[in-house]
Amino acid sequence: MLQNNLFHDEYVRNYTNASFLVKDGYAFTDGLFSGYSASARTYNIASWSYDTDPATSFANRDMTLQNPRSVFQLMKQHYSRYTPEMVSSITGIPVADFNKVADLVGQMGKPDKVMTIVYAVGLTHHTTGGQLIRSGAVLQLLLGNMGRPGGGMNAERGHANIQGNTDHAISWEILPGYLKIPAPGQKTIADYVAQSAPKKSDKNSWNFFGTNYSKFMVSTLKAWYGDAAKKDNEFAFNFVPKPAGNASWMTIYDQALKGKMEGLMLSGMTAASIGPDSNQVRQALGNLKWLVIMDALPTTSSEFWHAPGVDASQVKTEVFMLPATHWIEKEGSFVNSGRWSQWKDQVLPPQGQARHDHWILADIFQRVKTLYKTQGGKFPDPIMSLTFDYKDPLKPDLDEIAREINGKDLSTGKQMTTFANLKDDGTTTTGDWIYTGSYLDTGNLMKRRQGVQDPKANDPTGMGFYPNWSWSWPLNRRVMYNRASADLNGKAWDPARPGITWNGSKWVGDVPDYPATMDPHDPNAYLPFIMNGEGVGRLFSNGMVDGPLPEHYEPIESPVQNPLHPTNSASPVAFLYDKAAGRPNRFGTATDYPYIATSYRLTEHEHYVTQHVPHLVQLQPRPFVEIPQELASEKGIKSGDQVRVSSKRGKVEVLALVTKRLGPMTVAGQKVYQIGIPIHWGYIGISADSDPSHGRYWLANALTPFVGDANARTPEFKAFLVNLEKI
Amino acid sequence: MLYLAAEHFVRAPQWLWYVLFYFFFAGIAGGSYAIATMLRLSGDVRDESAARIGFYVSFVATVVCPILLTADLGVSWPRFWHMLIDVTPGDSAVNFKYWSPMSVGAWALLVFGFFAFVSAAEAWLSDRRGRPLVPPLLNRVFNVVGAVLGIFIASYTGVLLSVSNQPVWSDTWSLGGLFLASGLGGATALIALLMRYRPDAAFSLGRLHQAAGYFAALEVALIIVFFVTVGAAGTLPRLLPWLALWAIAVAGVAAGLVGARGHMRVMTAGGSGALARVRLDTVVVSLLVLVGVLALRAAVIFSAQ
Amino acid sequence: MATIKAGETYGFFTDTSICIGCEACEVACKECNQLQGNNPTFLADSFDNTGSLDAQNWRHVKFIEQVPDQSATPGNGSAWLMMSDVCKHCKHASCMEVCPTGAIIRTEFNTVFIQQDVCNGCRNCIAACPYGVIGMNQQTGTAHKCTLCYDRLQGGLEPACAKACPTQSIQFGPLADLQQAADVRLAALHSQGMNQAQLYGRDDKVYGGLNAFFLLMDKPETYGLPNADNAKLPSRNDLGGYIGAAITAVLAVVGGLVAFRRRVTG
Ligand SMILES: Nc1nc2c(c(=O)[nH]1)N[C@H]1C(S)=C(S)[C@@H](COP(=O)(O)OP(=O)(O)OC[C@H]3O[C@@H](n4cnc5c(=O)[nH]c(N)nc54)[C@H](O)[C@@H]3O)O[C@H]1N2
Ligand SMILES: Nc1nc2c(c(=O)[nH]1)N[C@H]1C(S)=C(S)[C@@H](COP(=O)(O)OP(=O)(O)OC[C@H]3O[C@@H](n4cnc5c(=O)[nH]c(N)nc54)[C@H](O)[C@@H]3O)O[C@H]1N2
Ligand code: SF4
Ligand code: SF4
Ligand code: SF4
Ligand code: SF4
Ligand code: SF4
Ligand SMILES: [Mo]
Repeated sequence: MLQNNLFHDEYVRNYTNASFLVKDGYAFTDGLFSGYSASARTYNIASWSYDTDPATSFANRDMTLQNPRSVFQLMKQHYSRYTPEMVSSITGIPVADFNKVADLVGQMGKPDKVMTIVYAVGLTHHTTGGQLIRSGAVLQLLLGNMGRPGGGMNAERGHANIQGNTDHAISWEILPGYLKIPAPGQKTIADYVAQSAPKKSDKNSWNFFGTNYSKFMVSTLKAWYGDAAKKDNEFAFNFVPKPAGNASWMTIYDQALKGKMEGLMLSGMTAASIGPDSNQVRQALGNLKWLVIMDALPTTSSEFWHAPGVDASQVKTEVFMLPATHWIEKEGSFVNSGRWSQWKDQVLPPQGQARHDHWILADIFQRVKTLYKTQGGKFPDPIMSLTFDYKDPLKPDLDEIAREINGKDLSTGKQMTTFANLKDDGTTTTGDWIYTGSYLDTGNLMKRRQGVQDPKANDPTGMGFYPNWSWSWPLNRRVMYNRASADLNGKAWDPARPGITWNGSKWVGDVPDYPATMDPHDPNAYLPFIMNGEGVGRLFSNGMVDGPLPEHYEPIESPVQNPLHPTNSASPVAFLYDKAAGRPNRFGTATDYPYIATSYRLTEHEHYVTQHVPHLVQLQPRPFVEIPQELASEKGIKSGDQVRVSSKRGKVEVLALVTKRLGPMTVAGQKVYQIGIPIHWGYIGISADSDPSHGRYWLANALTPFVGDANARTPEFKAFLVNLEKI
Repeated sequence: MLYLAAEHFVRAPQWLWYVLFYFFFAGIAGGSYAIATMLRLSGDVRDESAARIGFYVSFVATVVCPILLTADLGVSWPRFWHMLIDVTPGDSAVNFKYWSPMSVGAWALLVFGFFAFVSAAEAWLSDRRGRPLVPPLLNRVFNVVGAVLGIFIASYTGVLLSVSNQPVWSDTWSLGGLFLASGLGGATALIALLMRYRPDAAFSLGRLHQAAGYFAALEVALIIVFFVTVGAAGTLPRLLPWLALWAIAVAGVAAGLVGARGHMRVMTAGGSGALARVRLDTVVVSLLVLVGVLALRAAVIFSAQ
Repeated sequence: MATIKAGETYGFFTDTSICIGCEACEVACKECNQLQGNNPTFLADSFDNTGSLDAQNWRHVKFIEQVPDQSATPGNGSAWLMMSDVCKHCKHASCMEVCPTGAIIRTEFNTVFIQQDVCNGCRNCIAACPYGVIGMNQQTGTAHKCTLCYDRLQGGLEPACAKACPTQSIQFGPLADLQQAADVRLAALHSQGMNQAQLYGRDDKVYGGLNAFFLLMDKPETYGLPNADNAKLPSRNDLGGYIGAAITAVLAVVGGLVAFRRRVTG
């Protein structure tokens, strides 16, 4: 792309930070970026920043892209090592095949071409997961495909509502609407904004997010604490927890292993099946005093204390099972990968005494509140003053919650129509600013269903936006950063695929992600990427802790050395939980575990929950592993035979499915085999019940390594080492 | 899944024991009636005893047939009559499809049952009276019609298998003839065996053995045709698992031939009448032939399952 | 979908080129028709654990692995074939031809339907169907197969399997429309160089045409389907079978009469 000048020149020059100059001091040598500390296994990212003008603190730019310190030239140099031969050696893809794909992709940098990348956990479940996704984003920026209809780096979210989950802050490090979680030491909203909001680094950057950060935060606090959030108490900012350490998924079990966790509530998630190194996770659950499971069905977590091979009398954890409704049994919204929040109906009435999750939580909350009231306690304010003005405080309605999330203007009592009107003076509320505009006084826009019944009427642009089908954040915009879909003059890059275009007086097409009447010829016109400080797409970024440019590292367990830099083969900053906690090493080597393994889903099952569905169990009735035919014949294994697959951490004894679909590969000059492990079985469910001995060593995660990606701490489910035996 | 070229992706109807025995008894029923008729037509008065055994056997075997067929229907057995009467709402009429051997067979069995009953009754009454009940000519005309039906009954089961899309079965046109030849052979063997209990019939024994020899020869020819046609269709491998059954079937045929040879020698020496009674060798040969008849049908049925 | 009218011919166009093998069609069919399914068994045959169409499985997704030995060789789209199989609702239906009770009829939608109150479980249709579609339900003692959702069609609804298919690999509609759509699709595949792609049962070469016809990515034999040369009705053997029997009968009667002939003996 870079060497053959196949990138989208005008786009890259104007809409990305290719022209930004990087500070002296930034370097990359032998697999390490500048600022590495081997003892802490972290980077000091100070050197990964722009060369700035001290007067404005804006970055210096070279629009010719020739300056050797420009992002463009640094990238060109960085990626010159990735020749087709090198890529082939790393990935096992034959050079000819790679070139074929590269040729196709290379054509997508023409202004009237666009391609999309769709990915899911094939990219994320690696210690380099975050950077793998960034590499796709970087490629799309080079091709000029971000912010354009049909472009983008698109996550296929997993569970039907994973997008909604992150939007509403299921991750520990964010508050709703991707506001950062406050950090220790922050006393005021101003402290918080100063340390959290993006900063403007170019004169034409709007920096919309950074500029409005305090309005979003204050309005959120107003929604939570109502009258208790006042200007003179910093809007109750001190009620919000300010975690000092990482609290991601693996960290929780790591803490439990260390004996630092008293209890845990699992809702709609079965820790014992889904986490890496499940034997260790089970041990962690056994270290708890109590465990609460909110689920519609028994899970490997609710039953972990009598898993095969476990002596129930030795497990001290007290386990509570609270029957919850399944999502089929309630209404609510699902948010898809395109950020369309679609309201759905209840399919079945709840069974038995099952309660909705939010009813269970409401009940627990009221009881805690009563305890505070009757018995007192430390710092009661966040509990006592939490807004909870639902019609039935024990049974909040999801409709009420959706209205609350949208937010309202306290002075008029009306629903907010846009987050642009949110204020930081305590007169507006929002439960999640990106959802402001979803539930107006006129009703719930997520319920709208004007779709393919009548494409002519319902899709006026013909671009598949269907603006009156449900509602997408932000502000029903279908393509984010859509200013980037038009050139400097506001004309569509591809007239056949316009996003928004400038008609001389305003922007038309999709809902503009830009001031609606801002003339593109205005010397002060904003840059297209309105949410970040630069105003342009980041090819080089200091937002990641493992490097400003994506780099290839081998998985933590790998049979080969990284051909790029054998001395720093695996990610130098991947988080090694066991090592950090002083537990013995649980990683294996190719001498003992010569085969690569990967884990994945089958279409016939949804994780672990469909183990309770007879028709789906019939489709895939027994746990199995897929074995390359060549390896199988070496080992005398036939389809249907029982085999043992073991890693340094555990083993599974399951059936073999021999197939030519998994061929051997040549990686770093070595012939390697790969074993495929579907994840869906455990000691719970129909197949396990029908013959308890079947349930013995079924958890795919008995094999996977307890290691996290440096950024997101996502486990490395997709590549690890195992051994294979016939039994 | 890998599929054999040109082999249909079929499901076996899983006709097992009831149908196997039905095929056996149908062969015996039709075969005995035909043999009995031929004895009357071509033999002399001293063959009448053997002929009557044939009619008795035919009747008993015929009675067993619908019982087996009905039993094979499983829980639907009370609907056996749907074979004959169409109960489709608004469509109720007689079911008769000349192109469907099962449909024709159902009717044939009904009509043949009448003939088998009448002939057996006639034989029984004549036995009791000590002389023929019905004028011989009339009787013979009746018998000839019955024998034609009997031959149909003995053979259509083979055609029924062929009129399908099962491998092996539908790959050959020989099954109707094969089942007929073996049915006739089985019928001769059974009649010969039963002569033990009706010594006066033993007069016909030598002739029966001779006929059995002809039937066995026909059967050998048809088995060859069967293998050649199935081989041409490429489904021979399906027969392999059932080679043991084929061996038994062939042993039965061979027994028929050996028996025939032995008795023809006897015959040239002293005529059929010289054999006063059924000896052990006849018993052995007959049993072998009967087992062979069963084995042949089993081998054919199973090879498609 | 336009309204479903009696008197018109309906069927399926199953486009295997876009089937992802998710088996949603199998499950939707079972749910809708209240079929329990068979005992779960691992067949070790690619991802197929259903095995075949039968009384409990009226849709069955076949998985056919045709991976070339050199794994990296592009497989021209036919390395892992998936095909959602179903009753073909043949224009000349072998099952209907042999059924002695008249249980098998053509409905007002021109589909092939087994009337459960007429069928008596003789299984002749099972032997006759060249596609192994029909199975016996031991509880009811009758033959079962895809009804083309007769009840749903009567209620104006499209069949459950087509409705559930997330890729529109299964398309339901008036046969003429489907044939047109199939021609367009085939032309598109051919223009993309997939020359092995072919329609099966769209014209009258197999069983006079199939109401449920397919777009295949390889020869019919690869999928275990009889090709046009092999697709023959059971009645093809009527004449040969009876003639064989008749010749045998004549020879046998001659033999019998000769053996039994009156002769002068001592
Ligand atoms: N039927 C069914 N559907 C589901 C789910 C389910 O359980 N069952 N789960 C849902 C959820 S929560 C999720 S997250 C999604 C996940 O959906 P997917 O991401 O599709 O999930 P997987 O099947 O785990 O893995 C996907 C693929 O990643 C590939 N892969 C592995 N390593 C790499 C790599 O380094 N690079 C690339 N390019 N590919 C790689 C593997 O070959 C595998 O085919 O599915 C969702 N949909
Ligand atoms: N080795 C390996 N491990 C993996 C993966 C992998 O690819 N490889 N994939 C990972 C990924 S991406 C994911 S998302 C996880 C999946 O892990 P989970 O999300 O834990 O898996 P599910 O089985 O979908 O679990 C959901 C549980 O939620 C319950 N449930 C459904 N609806 C509701 C509800 O409304 N309320 C409540 N309280 N409960 C409900 C179900 O009964 C079920 O028990 O697995 C992860 N683990
Ligand atoms: S596919 Fe089989 S069951 Fe279906 S109509 Fe054709 S012959 Fe009958
Ligand atoms: S089993 Fe039923 S449908 Fe099939 S041929 Fe017999 S009567 Fe007809
Ligand atoms: S049409 Fe109906 S009965 Fe036939 S396979 Fe589809 S869902 Fe099943
Ligand atoms: S539902 Fe559609 S895509 Fe899925 S297996 Fe069936 S035909 Fe194929
Ligand atoms: S893959 Fe299946 S379950 Fe997932 S969204 Fe599509 S149809 Fe629904
Ligand atoms: Mo997921």
